[in-house]
Amino acid sequence: MLSLGAFAFASPWILWGLLSLPVIWWLLRITPPAPKLVRFPAIRLLFRLPQKEDTPVHTPLWLLLLRLLTAALVIVALAHPLHNPTAGATRSGPILLVIDNGWAAAQNWQSRIGYLSDLLDRAERERRGVVVLATAPTVSGEAPAPTKLLRAAQARQIVRAIRPAPWKSEPKAAAAAIGTLTLKDASVVWLNEGLESADAKALGAALAKIGPVTLVTDQAGALPLVLRPPKPQGGNLVARIERVGSSGARLVRIRALDDKGAVLANVPAQIPDGKRFADAVIELPAELRNRVVRLDLAGQRTAAGVVLVDERWRRRPVGIVAQRTIASGQPLLSELYYLERALGPYTELRRGPTRELLDRPIAVMILPDGATISADDRLRLEKWVRAGGLLLRFAGANLAEGDDALVPVKLRRGDRSVGGAMTWAKPLGLADFAAGSPFSGLTVPTDVRVSRQVLAEPSADLAAKTWARLADGTPLVTAERRGKGWLALIHTSANPEWSNLALSGLFVEMLRRMVALSQGIAGADARINLPPRRTLDGFGRPVRPPATAIAIAAAAFAKTVPGPRHPPGLYGTETIRRSLNLSPSIARLRAFASVPQGATQSFYKDARQTDFKPWLLAAALLLLILDTIIGLLMRGLLPLPGRAAAAVGVVALAAAAALPLLVAAPNAIAQDGSLDDQFAIKATSKTRLAYIRTGNAETDQVSLAAMRGLGAILRRRTSVEPGDPMAIDAENDELALFPMLYWPIVPGQTPPSEQAAARLNRFMRSGGILLIDLRDPAGQGSFDTIALRRALGGVRIPALAPVPRGHVLTKSFYLLQQFPGRWAGGTVWVQSGNQKVNDGVSQVVVGSNDWAGAWAVDASLRPMFPVVPGGSLQREHAFRTGINIVMFALTGNYKADQVHLPTIMRRLGQ
Amino acid sequence: MAAKALHVRHRAEQAAARLPPLMVHAERIAATVAQGVHGRRRVGQGETFWQFRRYEPGDTLQSIDWRQSAKTEHLFVRETEWEAAQSVWLWRDASGSMRYSSDRKHPEKAERSDILLLAMASLLVRGGERITLLDGSRPASGRAALENLALKLTADAGANSPLADSLPPFMALPRHGQLVLFGDFLSPLEDIEARFRRFAAQGVKAYVMQVLDPAEETLPFRGRTRFEGLEDEGRVLVKRVETVREDYHGRINDHIEGLRGLCRRIGWSYGLHRTDHSPESALLTAYMALSALLAR
Repeated sequence: MLSLGAFAFASPWILWGLLSLPVIWWLLRITPPAPKLVRFPAIRLLFRLPQKEDTPVHTPLWLLLLRLLTAALVIVALAHPLHNPTAGATRSGPILLVIDNGWAAAQNWQSRIGYLSDLLDRAERERRGVVVLATAPTVSGEAPAPTKLLRAAQARQIVRAIRPAPWKSEPKAAAAAIGTLTLKDASVVWLNEGLESADAKALGAALAKIGPVTLVTDQAGALPLVLRPPKPQGGNLVARIERVGSSGARLVRIRALDDKGAVLANVPAQIPDGKRFADAVIELPAELRNRVVRLDLAGQRTAAGVVLVDERWRRRPVGIVAQRTIASGQPLLSELYYLERALGPYTELRRGPTRELLDRPIAVMILPDGATISADDRLRLEKWVRAGGLLLRFAGANLAEGDDALVPVKLRRGDRSVGGAMTWAKPLGLADFAAGSPFSGLTVPTDVRVSRQVLAEPSADLAAKTWARLADGTPLVTAERRGKGWLALIHTSANPEWSNLALSGLFVEMLRRMVALSQGIAGADARINLPPRRTLDGFGRPVRPPATAIAIAAAAFAKTVPGPRHPPGLYGTETIRRSLNLSPSIARLRAFASVPQGATQSFYKDARQTDFKPWLLAAALLLLILDTIIGLLMRGLLPLPGRAAAAVGVVALAAAAALPLLVAAPNAIAQDGSLDDQFAIKATSKTRLAYIRTGNAETDQVSLAAMRGLGAILRRRTSVEPGDPMAIDAENDELALFPMLYWPIVPGQTPPSEQAAARLNRFMRSGGILLIDLRDPAGQGSFDTIALRRALGGVRIPALAPVPRGHVLTKSFYLLQQFPGRWAGGTVWVQSGNQKVNDGVSQVVVGSNDWAGAWAVDASLRPMFPVVPGGSLQREHAFRTGINIVMFALTGNYKADQVHLPTIMRRLGQ
Repeated sequence: MAAKALHVRHRAEQAAARLPPLMVHAERIAATVAQGVHGRRRVGQGETFWQFRRYEPGDTLQSIDWRQSAKTEHLFVRETEWEAAQSVWLWRDASGSMRYSSDRKHPEKAERSDILLLAMASLLVRGGERITLLDGSRPASGRAALENLALKLTADAGANSPLADSLPPFMALPRHGQLVLFGDFLSPLEDIEARFRRFAAQGVKAYVMQVLDPAEETLPFRGRTRFEGLEDEGRVLVKRVETVREDYHGRINDHIEGLRGLCRRIGWSYGLHRTDHSPESALLTAYMALSALLAR
């Protein structure tokens, strides 16, 4: 290898070939180009023509140079020039390739792959053996171990299979593993992950013993960041972002994602110059925050840049039963004060009477001693607990004296005072929490003292129900499973009256554990195993858990350090989810500084080597093609370019023609409307006259014909252009779509059902007009509202009155005095005028003149029935009545307003 | 038999399909030239009345027009226009060397020769002469003869026909027969002279038009060039065409001059036409020269 700064030649001896260039020059000079071939009729005259100039045919200088350049390119290409050649591995023996593939390597894994590829290329070229050692434990949990001496091609297979692990590398184990290695004349290449530790230093020392070390590291700015698990602060989550080193300001974005991968928040955090970390405050409404399952750093591709959020970070609604008024005069004596201070930062607190609290879903209900609850509330609470709630009670004077059954254990009447003026005993501290308790793992501060408490009656199951004890063994916290929920009692008060527990940090932690318990984390049952559900790979991507990942005992979960057996990720069952994050196990980050003795150091960033051989060969080939074209041109053998251009044009035209075909892909949209939709579209696409189907075929037919006849007249005379009439079934169809319904009453008709009546009532209330036709010439003017109501069942007919003089119905289109139908003379009733429903527009018009009979026409628009007493004038008036009624239905009291017109005109005139 | 006749007719129609453009082209050229030539307006043997003239001693008695003479006191002789219809044999070189054009702007020599020949034939037919191709057929007059000739011209474009030689095929022609030859006449001068002298020995008069491509005169090629003949004459490699151009000019000029001299020696007319020049002027020259020959 010949090195010239950033350039090097892998096979430099081929460069001697450049010496042949002058020879090539000379050969090109003396070798004439191939002659042009010309067909020529007068060739006889050229025979035996004396050829004076015998000197070689002249090749243009530029062509000569072009050919020389081609030759030079080929020679240089064969010498295999490289830019940024992989340095190191100076000895000629095998290469020990040490690859750090702990979590930190994932960030710049791509550059490592590039570097490895270059290095193995070189090893292959130089026919050197390779030993590969990955420093992270394998997925199956085996400690790092070097491979045998491999050929470069085999090593490539192995290297290809190496992935960054979502756990820490183990340089110490790696150092131990290479202690057994004996390699002759070897050199070492160490792809370092860039993090300093004593173990890494030891590994460096071990490597230096084998041969000269080439240390390849990331640039300081390219090292990964660590996202620490967030801490709740007020209503927000505060996550700390740590980096290696502290120079330069750096802007990081932290993202909060929900379980579908949607970004709920994207918060910038600036790590200032000189600082190692920054805190990002993630502000989210409680509902959104409870959906967050994952926090990660944008642009970070390591498992440490991801924090999976489980229930522990969720704010659960906690209700405190309290009366609305608080004794604000002495807040420090109030139980609520301490509860709110303890729970406020971690939960969503609500306060109020039991009933109000239970109206909304709630996780934990706290019943301080001061709160009084009714017997009803007591039942309600009990039911809620059985359904899965957690009720936490506090003892106090009330509980001690009262006879309360809503407690987990049977209590003795009265309370126990420990310490005080009258006793020898001192206030008691707390015993350490038992392993099965939800509080296990919490440290008990020594200064917590309980001076008064309520005592449980001794019973067989008291020990099992006890979660915390005083130093003398008396229960301090008892709990009982009730149904799916918990009933817990703290045997002392929530204020400092009985103990100073409420003042200690332990109180906060205990309450948090209780709240956590409410979500189903069965801290009490430490024997539960939490199998992996979804784990992170080395790049922080959620994947199916590997077969080698095993469940974690719930008791040991908090102490579990992610590793091959327990990759970071989500553990638990359907109901219980716990997240195991990598970042808590990572100590403070420091940049790798203990470079082994005599090591040469380089960086990934600019270390990618570029091989110029193929490019140079391609350039030479292009020049050759160019030379051929020039030769053809000079000999006049090249076909005219017009044809090539035409071919290109044809191709372009074909492409242009094909484009619309591609674009105009069939775009069939299925019209999938339900029957209701179709009905609604049909009813509303045009104004439609509608009648209520009576079930009597003949009547219905007449109604249909009448609506058709009236529609024809309307179309002819007015701007109303009704569509085909529709028959309505009051029981099922939507009525609100029609302005007016014609309802003929037939003798013996069954009254509409309750449902239909309700529909009709709603129809009238919302502005529709019901045109009821009694079709009864005999009963002329002789029916009363009661009888009509009976016939109509539940349809609420308002108080009716005969159409008064000047009613809108008499002038909505035509000026009419009577409203004849097939019969004449019947009274027409409308809503009596003093009811101001629907702006005074009558909801119902009732008549008995059989209008339908007069309007009914056959297919050729001839009247179907004679009118009585008769005459075309009566039919004309019948139609005018119909028009007026339709206009009345469509325009309401529009014409009625004109009643006031004379008065208005008179006023204006003055 | 019928099938064969049909085949022949089919071939004829095929040939005729190519004919019209050629004919039209030739006719147009001929028409241009015909306007510039005013017949042979002079006294001679013929049927058409030309003029009366006073009797002069030496006129035969038969030539006196007695009717005219009776009208006046003098004797008048009736003179007719000179109407010696002559037979003209036409030939053009259809060999491979004629199918050459150095530039797409110029027609091939063969094409130009065909057009010139047809135009010439057209002019001759207008003048009442009898024409035919030099293929052993009998001369005829009229448009039919012209069309017949055009048909033969196009149908005989194939090789191996008696016309596909680079020199006119020798055949016995009547004394004082007229011959019009178009071709590049690039064969060795000795061959040409031998052939021409055989015709001349019969007393045949001829007009020779040498049709050349401009490249054949100028040799415009450059550099190392391998020349190939169009009639399998062989190949020749010229190392630098520029250096031999002068010599070539000398040779081609010698050849042209040699041909011109040969024609002069045997009493024939000679014309040179280059395909980049207009066919009209060439035809005019040729026709004038031919008229002079015919008048003799």
